Amino acid sequence: MNIDNDFKGLWKKQEISAIPSANEIFEKASKLKRKTRNKMLLQNILLICTIVFIVFIVSISQPQMITTKIGALLIIIAIISYVIPSFSVIKDIFKNNLESSNANFLDQFIRLKHKQEFLQKTLLTIYFIMLSIGLFLYMIEYAQMMSLTLRIIVYGMSFGWIAFNWFYIRPHTIKKQQSAINEIIDKLKKVNEQMTSLNE
Amino acid sequence: MTFEEIYKTYWQKVFRLCMGYVNNRDWAKDITQETFITVWQQLPKFRNESSVGTWIFRIASNQCLRQIEKNKRLPKVELPFQIEDANQTDDEHKVQFLYKCIAELQEIDRIIISLELEDIKQSEIASIVGLSEANIRVKIHRIKEKLTEKFKQYEY
Repeated sequence: MNIDNDFKGLWKKQEISAIPSANEIFEKASKLKRKTRNKMLLQNILLICTIVFIVFIVSISQPQMITTKIGALLIIIAIISYVIPSFSVIKDIFKNNLESSNANFLDQFIRLKHKQEFLQKTLLTIYFIMLSIGLFLYMIEYAQMMSLTLRIIVYGMSFGWIAFNWFYIRPHTIKKQQSAINEIIDKLKKVNEQMTSLNE
Repeated sequence: MTFEEIYKTYWQKVFRLCMGYVNNRDWAKDITQETFITVWQQLPKFRNESSVGTWIFRIASNQCLRQIEKNKRLPKVELPFQIEDANQTDDEHKVQFLYKCIAELQEIDRIIISLELEDIKQSEIASIVGLSEANIRVKIHRIKEKLTEKFKQYEY
């Protein structure tokens, strides 16, 4: 018995139910395109609304001090840096070239995941710094109108909140994001090692 | 080649490659569909630098590798492969056993042996996977040895 032919024969005997119609592909492709476009639209609308809302609040309260305005601006930057990773344009940068060889694909895949890890971490840090400083600056003007006790309470609580974010929420979020990415990187590296190893 | 022609010619081949990789019909169908969506999107840009076959198998095998990222499904080993069917012929059993054995190999080996069994030239497999032809030859030899060994145990 020729084992080789035997395997090839068996391989091709895999039962295949009817080939789905090609229209399914067209429909799925256009659905995907629509979905991506809608998502991008929604993200932009939400972002613009948030910014408009903050600008509106700042303008009706008519701040006298420059610190209030800078504070508001920093908060806006914080929000933008928070949503950046979910932008489709950014996601496209992390799209891998499916048309290259498996070896290239894996290399690229691993590199992109490392970049993604770095970007997530950096943007999250920027988000927390900007939000904290922004909040602090924004409060100065209004805190001046308060009594000393109230001022201490308000500032104390704000600092407590910021510290909690910085020392608890931020490292936790980073750790969670990283462990998800690292798990994928580890798996990819293992597969990549199979490329170079000939003896198992 | 028009998309429809490519689709008709390659659907089964791509499906078998995916089956060899995941050994799960629904999952393999999904990967096949994803492959052809990419083919449909990229076809206008395809410039015949490689043969259509090489190009499609590259996309298909990379789509398989991409499953590493979305590994939310059950690992294939835990899937109830052996649902004993009294009506199954000996050949059908063997086919199932072959695909099961292949899906248990290492990821790259699954791709290489699936392409080999699909009668793709070794030079082409080398270009799809991105290894030298000599490397591919050695790997195919070893994988076949492994499969033969498993079949021997299966038969007795």
